[in-house]
Amino acid sequence: MRIVKAVLWAATAIFALAAPLFLERGTLNDLWNLAFAVILAAAWNLLGGFAGQVSLGYSAFLGIGAYTTVLLSLRGIDSFLTLPLGALIAAVFSIVIGLPAFRLRGPYFTIATIGVGEAVRVCASTVEFTGGSSGIRMPAGSFDFNKNYFSMVVLAIFVVALAAWVKRSAFGHALAAIKQDIEAAEALGVNSTRFKLLAHALSAALVAIAGGLYAINFQYIAPGSVFDFRLSLSIVLMPIVGGVGTIAGPVFGALIFSTLQIKLLSIPALRDSYLFIYGGLLILVMLYEPKGLVGLGRRLSALLSRAVASKTGKEARDAG
Amino acid sequence: MPADAILSVRGLFKRFGGLQALAGIDFDVAEGDVFGVIGPNGAGKTTLFSCLVGSLAPTSGEIVFRGRRIEGMPNHAVVKRGIVRTHQIVRPFREMTVTENVAIGAHFGGGHRRGSDASRRVRDVLERTGLAHRASALAGTLTLGELKRLEIARALATEPKVICLDEVMGGLNPSEIQGAMSLIRAIRDSGVTILMIEHHVHAVAGVSNRILVLNFGEKIAEGTPQTVLKDMAVIAAYLGDDATTSRGDE
Repeated sequence: MRIVKAVLWAATAIFALAAPLFLERGTLNDLWNLAFAVILAAAWNLLGGFAGQVSLGYSAFLGIGAYTTVLLSLRGIDSFLTLPLGALIAAVFSIVIGLPAFRLRGPYFTIATIGVGEAVRVCASTVEFTGGSSGIRMPAGSFDFNKNYFSMVVLAIFVVALAAWVKRSAFGHALAAIKQDIEAAEALGVNSTRFKLLAHALSAALVAIAGGLYAINFQYIAPGSVFDFRLSLSIVLMPIVGGVGTIAGPVFGALIFSTLQIKLLSIPALRDSYLFIYGGLLILVMLYEPKGLVGLGRRLSALLSRAVASKTGKEARDAG
Repeated sequence: MPADAILSVRGLFKRFGGLQALAGIDFDVAEGDVFGVIGPNGAGKTTLFSCLVGSLAPTSGEIVFRGRRIEGMPNHAVVKRGIVRTHQIVRPFREMTVTENVAIGAHFGGGHRRGSDASRRVRDVLERTGLAHRASALAGTLTLGELKRLEIARALATEPKVICLDEVMGGLNPSEIQGAMSLIRAIRDSGVTILMIEHHVHAVAGVSNRILVLNFGEKIAEGTPQTVLKDMAVIAAYLGDDATTSRGDE
């Protein structure tokens, strides 16, 4: 079973990397969008899924990455070289807001992160050097979609692989302990604040790099696009619908989300209805399957194997 | 402060708003002691443990562990220095296996063990606490007796100098209590100093060499089990049974 899973992951990665050889630009654009969604969902899952700290402020990190890239590119720095700096700024910012916010537990933490996300958006739309609410454009120059595509796909593969590694590491076990019972974790020597800050910084940095890549490909950003609260909401919805705290969950969630979004965006009247549909899915998941699509899959495969076992057992009895 | 004390508490106060949970407690625990803490419900026993390990900050007073002041330190830092506690109401990580639960203590406690070194420590602790046969079971599927042992196993995995056991015999049947008492003796013989809260006064008297009696946050007696039990009879005569007996002892 584990080998089957590993082969499926590898096949998906190879398909995504080789896609430019046989797919047309329109489909590649959709795949680029999917890779972007996978990064956001899987990175959020490091803190929200593994450590159970549900943040609704991730557009702040996305926007920080996007703005860092555009503002530095405008000053003549190679746009891909700006990515690590965006990641660093986002990581530092995540620690600055994490220090007070992680003193709050459960829904109080979540509410605080909504405030942070909105505050950052308002700042970006009022401050002069970000171009205000009308946004800013990347400098005219080289635009290479293939390069943009590969960067996004490679980052997506890296984030999923990193999540799988974290989940098995001592760091991942500490996050799981914090999620299940933070006081019991502390009582066994787990420095919960430190691990929460670490997970927050790591996921913020990854989301910021994705934000930078987004700016490079879209060429134009505005507070209303990269700091949008609906974006923060989508980042949370994807892993929850797919299966929170799992490796495959954020990928499935991103797949459903980006497909829905692309299909509905092409119908102007339904432009924002993807959030409505997603809200409905969220309610269904919370009511019936807290582990999302991955949990549903596990339940179905357990049912199936039980049915097969009882059938073969019956056949054996009949034969005997 | 006696020279051989591993843990000394002086003038420990803890207030919750208007409630005085601990009202100036003093005591010393010598290395190798099995130090019993008894008293009725609400006497402040669990609050005392919480202050010792740092999950609560005392309002005032001193806690000296191996020559260093530790009061007000965060819980995880105290654990790394060598004091750990178990919880009266068990708090397992239910979605983890028994092995994974214990590994948290081995990884993040005083031992900082990783890899095969941590696995060896975990196996050893599971062996000592009689949980080896449940190693790969999910913690959520254990019986209460096993969960109490898991609390002890996780705490031992942090490699403590002092372990604070909060009612590890509560809710157990007589044969499980026998098992718990021999486990406590084995922990003592391995060189770990023990503080234990217990409602079963006779169980405490059976394993401990010193006993502290709390009532309404105050120390009302301290000494060897024989003298304390005799004192308690005297106190009961003056203050009534409530001051010295507790429900588990009925």
